[in-house]
Amino acid sequence: MKRVITVAGEYLMEVAHHKAYYGVAAAVVILTLMLPFLPTAGVGIQLDLFREASLGLGLIMTLLIALVLGSTAMRNEMNRRTIYNSLSKGVRREEYYLGKFVGICAALLLSLFFFWLVVLIIVLIRFQLFNPGLAKAFFTIWLEGCLVASICLWASMYFHPFISVLIGTLFYVVGHVKGHVLYRAMTSPDSNLVGRVVAGFFYFVLPNLEKLNINETVAHGERVFPVGAGKLALLTGLALSFVAVFVLLGMVSFRSRDL
Amino acid sequence: MYIYEVGSEPIMAVLEVRDLRKKYTSLGGKSREALKGLSFQVEEGSVTGLLGPNGAGKTTTLKILVGLVRPDAGSVKVLGRDWCVDVLREIGFLPEQPYFEYYMTPRRLLRFYGRLLGLEEDHLPGKVGHVLNLVGLEREADLPLEKFSKGMLQRVGLAQALLGDPRLLILDEPSSGLDPLGRIQVKELIAEMREKGVAVLLSSHQLSEIEEICDRVVMLYGGREVAAGTLDELLYRGDEVEIRLKDGIPAGLAEKLRNHVLSEDKGKRTFVVKRAVQSDVLRLLTESGVEVEELRPRRISLEEFFLSRLREARED
Repeated sequence: MKRVITVAGEYLMEVAHHKAYYGVAAAVVILTLMLPFLPTAGVGIQLDLFREASLGLGLIMTLLIALVLGSTAMRNEMNRRTIYNSLSKGVRREEYYLGKFVGICAALLLSLFFFWLVVLIIVLIRFQLFNPGLAKAFFTIWLEGCLVASICLWASMYFHPFISVLIGTLFYVVGHVKGHVLYRAMTSPDSNLVGRVVAGFFYFVLPNLEKLNINETVAHGERVFPVGAGKLALLTGLALSFVAVFVLLGMVSFRSRDL
Repeated sequence: MYIYEVGSEPIMAVLEVRDLRKKYTSLGGKSREALKGLSFQVEEGSVTGLLGPNGAGKTTTLKILVGLVRPDAGSVKVLGRDWCVDVLREIGFLPEQPYFEYYMTPRRLLRFYGRLLGLEEDHLPGKVGHVLNLVGLEREADLPLEKFSKGMLQRVGLAQALLGDPRLLILDEPSSGLDPLGRIQVKELIAEMREKGVAVLLSSHQLSEIEEICDRVVMLYGGREVAAGTLDELLYRGDEVEIRLKDGIPAGLAEKLRNHVLSEDKGKRTFVVKRAVQSDVLRLLTESGVEVEELRPRRISLEEFFLSRLREARED
């Protein structure tokens, strides 16, 4: 475990030296600061709109970081051969892989934590409301980011970072639309049997990312659907189960790989 | 553990490689056998050179030894133990043209590697300082690596290889990118490691370097060992002698010796003859009043040996 933390810590430091990382974070913060000045912000429920838009921006930031870090964390090391020095120090490949993944998750968590602070401060100044409950939505965004990163990291064992980014994006899109589309295909009496079986297989095998999307609920102050600790625990369990599967698959791929 | 005796000194095989095989298969299904049953061993306190042209299997061998590539068959034993990831803590590895994260400083990088090696946190600063001192980078220890020249990066590579007090040091082109002074320092460092009983396995294209540093040589071609032994065993030609004269050969005598001389230097002071005709040649020289300065078994250069063995291997 000590080596996993060492690798994760060093990767976090490496991310902290990426200018692009700050570029994405700064762009999102600037856009968030501009939200209250949008013409549409002057009508309707301003607070809810601001919260929803800032959570959306947080999601975009997390996705971008997860896609890029997941696709490059291991691949770049393999391409640059910096991995030779580390692996020849007696680190198990599984430890190294897990360390990188934990490093990515930590980078995502830190980015979201600082962004949450920014949103919290803006809400407090602009709407005179202390709203720490936003953290629930940021937390599920983080879970989603970890899931996307685990897919990209696994894909990067076989593919160029660009392809891994595409795979991660595809996974994200399918994960969000699949619930509705696959459920319809699985239950529709118009579909043939094979189509229903295939749709049913993917419906149950692929994670339903839409379940992790509580942005709207939280943005509207959980007035209709409160998000309790039980639901959060359930969502965490769901996300972490899929993360564990993808990380394990990635470890197996990395273990059998010649470098 | 494999132990054998040379005189009264027990010598331990730090590394034993037996019948190592590796085949690479491309996505298109084409396969290439990189290693076809390679066996050799490296003893403690010795420097063994791994020689061979490009594609001979040197890098694959080194990568297998440090777990970067999985062999298809064969065995590797380090200090008598079957290869497992834990034996890597007894091995120091310098890859060819080592790459690092350039935002780091040598001190931070070495601390990171020290933690991966499982070194005690309390001992880490002292240990890092020691290896930085060994490779002559103590003054640059806190500069970012992006400011380093190729030679300085090579020194950082050496430092990380030495960090865990390895019993086996594997060096891939250790002098690559180093200036003459740096090369001398590397040679001295390797000699120091040998004195401490460290077994060194060295891969290099610089034959003069191998000839100067190594005790033994394993030559590879096409994934197989084509020659192995100490430099004396490989380079001495038992059936030929080298005769060095105090002055040159007189013109008249040169004509008489022409049939016997296999080769001679430009100044015509040193020449090689078959051992079978050695006494005839010496008699002719003595009769002509030519003074012989030295007579010794002929030793060819490693380059000559390498080229001739390579030709034979290609013909096979």
